[in-house]
Amino acid sequence: MNIENTKAQMRKGILEFCILSILHKKEAYPSEIIEELKEAKLIVVEGTLYPLLTRLKNSGLLNYRWEESSSGPPRKYYKLTELGEKFSQELKNTWDELKKAVETVQKPIKK
Amino acid sequence: MNKTISINLAGVVFNIDENAYQKLDKYLQTISGYFSEADGKKEIMADIESRVAEMFQERMSNTRNVVSEEDVDHVISIMGQPEDYLENHEGEKSTETETESEATYTEKRLFRDPDNRVLGGVCSGIGHYFGFDPIFLRILFVLALVFFGSGVLLYIILWAIIPKAVTASDKLQMKGEAITVDNIKRRVQDEAERVKKKISKTRGSGSSVNQFGSELQSLGERIFGFFANIIR
Repeated sequence: MNIENTKAQMRKGILEFCILSILHKKEAYPSEIIEELKEAKLIVVEGTLYPLLTRLKNSGLLNYRWEESSSGPPRKYYKLTELGEKFSQELKNTWDELKKAVETVQKPIKK
Repeated sequence: MNKTISINLAGVVFNIDENAYQKLDKYLQTISGYFSEADGKKEIMADIESRVAEMFQERMSNTRNVVSEEDVDHVISIMGQPEDYLENHEGEKSTETETESEATYTEKRLFRDPDNRVLGGVCSGIGHYFGFDPIFLRILFVLALVFFGSGVLLYIILWAIIPKAVTASDKLQMKGEAITVDNIKRRVQDEAERVKKKISKTRGSGSSVNQFGSELQSLGERIFGFFANIIR
């Protein structure tokens, strides 16, 4: 059993949920999403986000629009589709349940 | 003093040092080798290139307008080593199809070999698959054509149904090599070497017609040798 591997697996599952949660709050372009994820220590390098976003978009959870940028090439602003909103809500429910479940089993035994 | 190259990244022009260019090119090619068309490779690469362009632009100023090797290193440190992409990518895949993906990595697949072809690369692809020199198969096809007048149709059908090995991972699968970061890197390097050699060869011999002539000659010699062996 490799602890690093287990940690990575856990993080991976939650990463998609977090991306959807960020986009649930507001429309954002990749660098903004990365900033938030970095702050939450969920992602270390930027490159890994791009394939994920493309995959979520191809599954119909996200769409994007182009916006000109003053400091470089145009940016893709992503936001949730209707399906994405539903998906994100369901994941949130599951997350709340899981959080409760973990807290329940970790509670110390009462004497 | 360094020679610079002018490149277009996501529609923005940069002047970049030659060694920095090579580093960046290798980096992008290695990453691009990890994704298939089905993953949306074009889009992913366009997104990555556009982010790289943005970072380069942040680092450029009026007095400094050439992208150096340090800039490329900086970008790679932010974007992540190629290995990071693969880990994430494979992890995603393996959670979906854990046992399946492992099996396909070592399994050989039939592809047409575009690097080693006479017509469509059918024979060399089949040769890779079964592990023999494609020249025998080629001769067989030619003999079938000469003596029975057939074989052309079969060849065309095979050409149509066997997919061409396009990406680095296709080519590894064609030869039955495992798809690992190192192998893909090696493939990309091989490819670069090959192109370089081709260029210097055509320059050296003066004209490509010459080269074609000598290739034809050697092919003739090989076929002749084959017949000589049979007669003996």
